[in-house]
Amino acid sequence: MPHGLDLSDFGTTFDDTRALDELFSATYEELRRLAAAVRRGDPSATLSPTALVNEAWLKLRESPRVASATPVHFKRIAARAMRQVLIEAARRRHADKRGGGAAVVTFDESLHEPASGADDLLALDDALDALARIQPRQATLVESRFFAGLEVGEIAALLQVSESTVLRDWRAARAWLANEMREHAPRRRESSGA
Amino acid sequence: MDAIRWERVQRLFHAVADLPHDEQSEFLAAECLDDPSLAADALALVVADARGNPVIDDGVARAAGRVFARADAQPLPTERFGQYRITRVLGEGGMGVVYLGQRDDLGSLAAVKILRDAWLSPARRERFASEQRTLAQLNHPLIAQLYDANTLPDGTPWFVMEYVEGIPLTDYCAAHSTSLPGRLRLFRDVCVAVQHAHRQLVIHRDLKPSNILVRSDGTVKLLDFGIAKQLESVDGVADQTRTGMRLMTPAYAAPEQVRGGRVGTYTDVYALGVILYELMTGRLPFAVPNESSDGADALRPAREPPRPSVVARETKVLPNAAIPGSTPSKSEWADLDVLCLTAMHQDPQRRYSTVDALIRDVDHYLSGEPLEARPDSARYRLGKFVRRNREAVVAASVGAILIVAVVAFYTARLAGARNDALSEAARVERIQRFTLGLFEGQDKDAGPADTMRVVALVDRGVDNARSLDAEPAVQADLYLTLGGIYQKLGRLDRADSLTRLALERRRALFGPSRPEVAEALVALGSVRIDQAKLDEAEGLIRQGLSVARQTLPSTDPGVVKATAALGRVLQERGDYAQAIPLLDDVVRLNEAGHVPPTEIGASLSALADAHYYAGHYPASDSLNTRALSIYRAAYGDRHPLVAHVLMNLSASQFDRGNYPQAEQLARQALVINTAFYGAAHFTTAQNLTMLARALVFENRFDEATGLLHQALAIRERVYGPVNPNVASTVNELGNIAYQRDHYDEAERDFRRMLDIYRAIYGEKHYLIGVATSNLASTYLGRKDYPRAEQAFRDAVRVLSATQGPEHLNTAIARIKLGRTLLRERKFAAARDETLAGYQILVKQANPSISFITAAKKDLVAEYDTLGLAAEARKYR
Repeated sequence: MPHGLDLSDFGTTFDDTRALDELFSATYEELRRLAAAVRRGDPSATLSPTALVNEAWLKLRESPRVASATPVHFKRIAARAMRQVLIEAARRRHADKRGGGAAVVTFDESLHEPASGADDLLALDDALDALARIQPRQATLVESRFFAGLEVGEIAALLQVSESTVLRDWRAARAWLANEMREHAPRRRESSGA
Repeated sequence: MDAIRWERVQRLFHAVADLPHDEQSEFLAAECLDDPSLAADALALVVADARGNPVIDDGVARAAGRVFARADAQPLPTERFGQYRITRVLGEGGMGVVYLGQRDDLGSLAAVKILRDAWLSPARRERFASEQRTLAQLNHPLIAQLYDANTLPDGTPWFVMEYVEGIPLTDYCAAHSTSLPGRLRLFRDVCVAVQHAHRQLVIHRDLKPSNILVRSDGTVKLLDFGIAKQLESVDGVADQTRTGMRLMTPAYAAPEQVRGGRVGTYTDVYALGVILYELMTGRLPFAVPNESSDGADALRPAREPPRPSVVARETKVLPNAAIPGSTPSKSEWADLDVLCLTAMHQDPQRRYSTVDALIRDVDHYLSGEPLEARPDSARYRLGKFVRRNREAVVAASVGAILIVAVVAFYTARLAGARNDALSEAARVERIQRFTLGLFEGQDKDAGPADTMRVVALVDRGVDNARSLDAEPAVQADLYLTLGGIYQKLGRLDRADSLTRLALERRRALFGPSRPEVAEALVALGSVRIDQAKLDEAEGLIRQGLSVARQTLPSTDPGVVKATAALGRVLQERGDYAQAIPLLDDVVRLNEAGHVPPTEIGASLSALADAHYYAGHYPASDSLNTRALSIYRAAYGDRHPLVAHVLMNLSASQFDRGNYPQAEQLARQALVINTAFYGAAHFTTAQNLTMLARALVFENRFDEATGLLHQALAIRERVYGPVNPNVASTVNELGNIAYQRDHYDEAERDFRRMLDIYRAIYGEKHYLIGVATSNLASTYLGRKDYPRAEQAFRDAVRVLSATQGPEHLNTAIARIKLGRTLLRERKFAAARDETLAGYQILVKQANPSISFITAAKKDLVAEYDTLGLAAEARKYR
């Protein structure tokens, strides 16, 4: 796992390593919390991690590096962090299932969950990369809305388009990604198993 | 697919997406005649749109749920961690998983904590290592201990710590129906654990009941230093850029923590306050913000939670034990409210500055002592104190101990930190009133007789105050308070210099037009009144009143106080016509406002004084009688304020010639004053003088002279030689000498009296008239009639101009002038003066008054000589 975020498409530097590291940790813990809530069947788990992103902004904005970013810009960065942490975890989970890890102790084998969740997420990641090559604006939209739970209005402001455009873009992107994931997922599994 | 093609596909998709299914193909075929593959792409999109995207539609939380395995399903490379073999999962948090471990050799249990997904970031590894270091550093019976630590071959760090088999603090109290004192003792243990951490420069930052376990034997253990912060220095503040990002538990997080501000030991104090709140009420102080609240809770406005006492009444979590004293009384609840709400104050500056301070107040509460945190009203503190000291305490030490407490309280709080509410004027005002109250006796029937000792203590307070240069506002408050104490003690020079310093500081700090400055101006003016510098006093007080009126509402206590002070200085100047309406206003405002009855008593008494000096005796007596019953109800019969009113009533009786009544009232007052103030206090001196005056008119000269010499010695020492109080004593001595026909001695006394009054008041004051009249009497006694006549005429002029032509004093001077004229055989002029004086007197005074008798006798002589036998007969 790289210690920095890939932010080359953000058109700015955001390289306070310490702040980013904290953002990673917080993101991870929030995702863990969400994961545990989902397993408990907690209805709050269906909520997006918006609170985390807002809170992370409030905390990190005092950092001189972060202070130069706008809140919306920061939320984009947080969305990227969410995506990278989740994808990295999915990658490791995928590897474990394929015998990559040296697990000798588990307390309940029956609880092992299918790795399909991890695979789906990896497919989404690849599909998003493909979308970014065709229409970066839509990739940013999906990243912001899915991973960081940004509101439509915030995304409209971020992308400087109308809210109705955001909704149209979202609908088309969601459908396109579904097709892309279905087409390419099997290929990906083969390649990562090599 | 390229961007251009994707644009076209999307346009087609949006055009058909919401059409009926059978029209979609038709429309697309018609639109894509040139490139049918476009229609195919668009249609595929329509199909996918209808089918949905399971990953995206499920949301990120479910994706996370599938990616992150449950702790007990998490594979581990080993089951052995040092001496311990793990047996089951105890819990999981954001950072890691905690397992129960058991030693094979001893069978003893421990908790094994493992950092999960250590790969994720160096910050996490650092934080885990930091928790481990913190635990290693904290060695305290109330904090779970570290046993062992290491790293697995794959780089996963772990440590082993004390396993605490207990339940969370709040659950424990609920399960055991723990009494309130029991809960407070458990809470105190938690504070002690946190205090230990703070002494090691560690802030916990995540204090909450689930991190505080209580064993079945009642032992408290503090756990989870996972986001604890090592302070770099002892100033107790952490740099916020290093604030951990882990979500703290919102319900216990201090406002500065939520906002991402600087955290410090005060952050833990806040969480402790919330825990205490929960222990007392069974409820959290604030509704926990919803997780979807979009960060708005981070910006929640500073607000006060409902008072614990109120909530506890509703929730009834405290056991209704039959043991007396286990249920808090109303005043105890008031303390608990203050204690808890001070700990969890929204403003870190207003909280207990340290856990030590919090513990001290918990201890104070448990042993029934006054809290340090109390925004204390005099009555509160004294109530507490007196309750603890119902058994008689040596009178002198009461005041001294309280002074020590107050000064120590002040300086400890001030020296402790650049914090707290003391800089707040209102609070200082209360402290001041309390402190000054000490010298007015409150509930004690005996007072600070050991004035010297008290002065020494106040001196020490001043030294402490001087060292607070960095806190000019608080220093000014303290100077003002201590200045007020010196004034009460009669140390007018020290009162003057401290009050002046306070005024200068406040002017420099706040600028000229602020209520704080007004307060200091009035205080200095009031010292000037006692110093008999009435011009300066009036100037200062008027200035203060004008600033107060500009900056405060008209009913504000600051304005009322300044008005009262102006009334007092005008009265001291003899300007009763102006003083009375002002003092009337003060009584009215006090009666309308929410002031303690004793303050109403004080304003009644001040108004009574003005009426008395204006010669309105019935008005004065009736106001004083009201004040007396208020004081007796509030303080009992042996309070110095009761004595004060008794003395005023005595003076009124005296003036009207009711000497036995005057004597009796003065004696009642003297018993109280001597017991309270001691034999060498200026109040005692005043009382002695009054009694002596009454005795003189009862012809008990020796007794009177002895009392007056005592009084004079006290006054010269307290006030210095040029002071109205010294003058009035000299006057009494002169009167006695005169009555005994010791005219030389009397003349010397009256001259000294006149010189003093002239130096203080100039020529236009009724006391100049009184002194001149008395001096004239010595000439009359020596049969030096021309000098006597001139002097009496001067006296009548001054008295009639200052106190009015109808005043008793004017009447007496005219009767005396009449007697002089009679001796000079100027019978017609004599008759005019005597008659005028007589007519005033009979309207107001007891007929037995010696002046009336004298006037009648003179009138008979005058009319007889004038050949008006019929007129003469009227007065025989």
